[in-house]
Amino acid sequence: MKDFAIRANKLKKIYSSEFEKIVALKEIDVEIKKGEFVTIMGPSGAGKTTFLNLVGCLDRPTSGKLDILGCDPAKSNEEKLCRIRIEKIGFVFEDFFLISSLNSLENVQLPLIFARNFKNNTNPETLLKRVGLDHRLTHFPNELSGGELQRVAVARALVNNPQILLADEPTGNLDTKNAQGLFDLFRELNREEGLTIVVATHNIRLGHSTDRIIHLNDGKIEQDERLVK
Amino acid sequence: MKFFVLAYKNLKRRKSRSFLTIGGVAVAVAVLVCLLGFNAGYQEALTSDVDKMGYQVLVTAKGCPYEAATRVLKGEAGLKFIDEDIYKQIISDPDIDKITPLLVQLVYDPEKSDGKGGFDSYSGIERSYMELKPNVKLKSGEWFSSDDADEVILGYDKAESIQKKLQKTVGDKISIPGEDTNLVIVGIFEKTASLEDGDFFLPLKTAQRIFEIEGKLTSIGIKLKQIDRLQAFEERLYPIASIQVISMSQVKGTILNLVNSAKILIMSVAFIAIFVAIIGVINTILMSVFERTQEIGIMKAIGASKLDIFKLIWIETLIICTLGGIFGSIIAIFGGNFTELLVRKVMPYAPGGRLLLITPELLLFSFFGVIIIGIISGLYPAFRAASMRPIEVIRSGE
Repeated sequence: MKDFAIRANKLKKIYSSEFEKIVALKEIDVEIKKGEFVTIMGPSGAGKTTFLNLVGCLDRPTSGKLDILGCDPAKSNEEKLCRIRIEKIGFVFEDFFLISSLNSLENVQLPLIFARNFKNNTNPETLLKRVGLDHRLTHFPNELSGGELQRVAVARALVNNPQILLADEPTGNLDTKNAQGLFDLFRELNREEGLTIVVATHNIRLGHSTDRIIHLNDGKIEQDERLVK
Repeated sequence: MKFFVLAYKNLKRRKSRSFLTIGGVAVAVAVLVCLLGFNAGYQEALTSDVDKMGYQVLVTAKGCPYEAATRVLKGEAGLKFIDEDIYKQIISDPDIDKITPLLVQLVYDPEKSDGKGGFDSYSGIERSYMELKPNVKLKSGEWFSSDDADEVILGYDKAESIQKKLQKTVGDKISIPGEDTNLVIVGIFEKTASLEDGDFFLPLKTAQRIFEIEGKLTSIGIKLKQIDRLQAFEERLYPIASIQVISMSQVKGTILNLVNSAKILIMSVAFIAIFVAIIGVINTILMSVFERTQEIGIMKAIGASKLDIFKLIWIETLIICTLGGIFGSIIAIFGGNFTELLVRKVMPYAPGGRLLLITPELLLFSFFGVIIIGIISGLYPAFRAASMRPIEVIRSGE
């Protein structure tokens, strides 16, 4: 049981508004082992982002059980979710979401401000060097290319040494070369650090470079494909 | 990197907006410091002016006692004249310690104030004047050679301006505008830091002769042996129909009462300025919170707690208010002279000495006051930012 990083049982998420109810996830069961590199694929509205948000403790499930490295987000208060996010999870977004007033190094340092007593972190400069941006430490987001921006975002996601890295369409704003470079970096982190990585993407070719593809459609798992390397 | 640096960088992002908000706070602080400083300074200057007069009691012609007293404080003539005989009549009163007759006349000098024209005050005095005013001493020269000599002693400031303008000093002759008589400058008084520093002093009889009001006085200054004998003294003077007795402490009290009433108005102005500044601060911070909803969401996604976001926004507010407080204090210190000049022009009676008393205590009070206001005005924007849910704000940008 301890081998699982993420375990979902009948996981359901309903978004309710005044006029309608949208069932984004329909009681899905999924288990992702520690050290797995998994792709979530599916058309828009399939429930990929909802799944990542629940796993990333940004949202709570409507029903079902969810276990993130032994923690249940449904039973955790806001403060506890915040601790899980800072200590166990790294997030990479499609739009990078870097703070424009901070340079690359400061953007990577940002989670450390909020980490308080949590000291298990990597030196931000070392991380930027690792993602190949040691020559861009003092550059601001508007001075970087799309590929570089996403690498800074990855370094920021890794600064607190998370056990799970979640990436929501991380190549959506990148060209083919940079997209491949990013996946190569993910693979490297997965092999060398044993990092569990879950990526939501539309890119089939990149999806096939991971260990497993979970196909989501209309809130359900349509296919769980384990790729033989 | 610390919270402070992050907050500072956020403010730096919108330089002109932050600068204007800091400017608004600075103006409010400067207004507060100047108004409170004026209030304290006026009170002190008035007290010192009244104390320097040396009189406890003033006898003038009947009329509005406060107007008469204010005119004497300003070095102007009384409303009406009293007969010199009254002075001779009361000089032997047993309660009187010291007494001096005064004749104050205003003379229009078209050359005054660089040709703009203005009034000069000429006081006819006797030797007893010096006894009643211990702080009035001769700096140079000597007392008048006789009771009706055509001589003049200059107040300190008047001597300086005459020296500068006419290159005349002790021993030289000056003339009174519109009069034929020339007066020899025989002495200069030491600085008293009161309005008398700008006066001309003549022997009483000379003044009566030149201004053609012989046998008349504008007032009589009196120091009693014991101030608690004032009522008895006043009662003895009741039968003299043409005069009134004014206690200077009463005058001081009345003027201060008037100033205190003005204080309420003054404070209202200060509070309006502060209120406007608070609204400005809240508006600026709130706007920057709304502009950064997605950024705040991301910070939460990467581990920032509610308290972290609250702290961040709060520090931004505090930086604005602290900088506003510092710049406001600097404006108040260096702009105080200008305010004083303005107040002197507007006020019907402004005592000598500094009107604006900006003390370190006042600056500290205003500075910490604005910090507390900053803490309060940062609460709402900080609360709004802290209560944003990460998932919703990240989505809002999609």
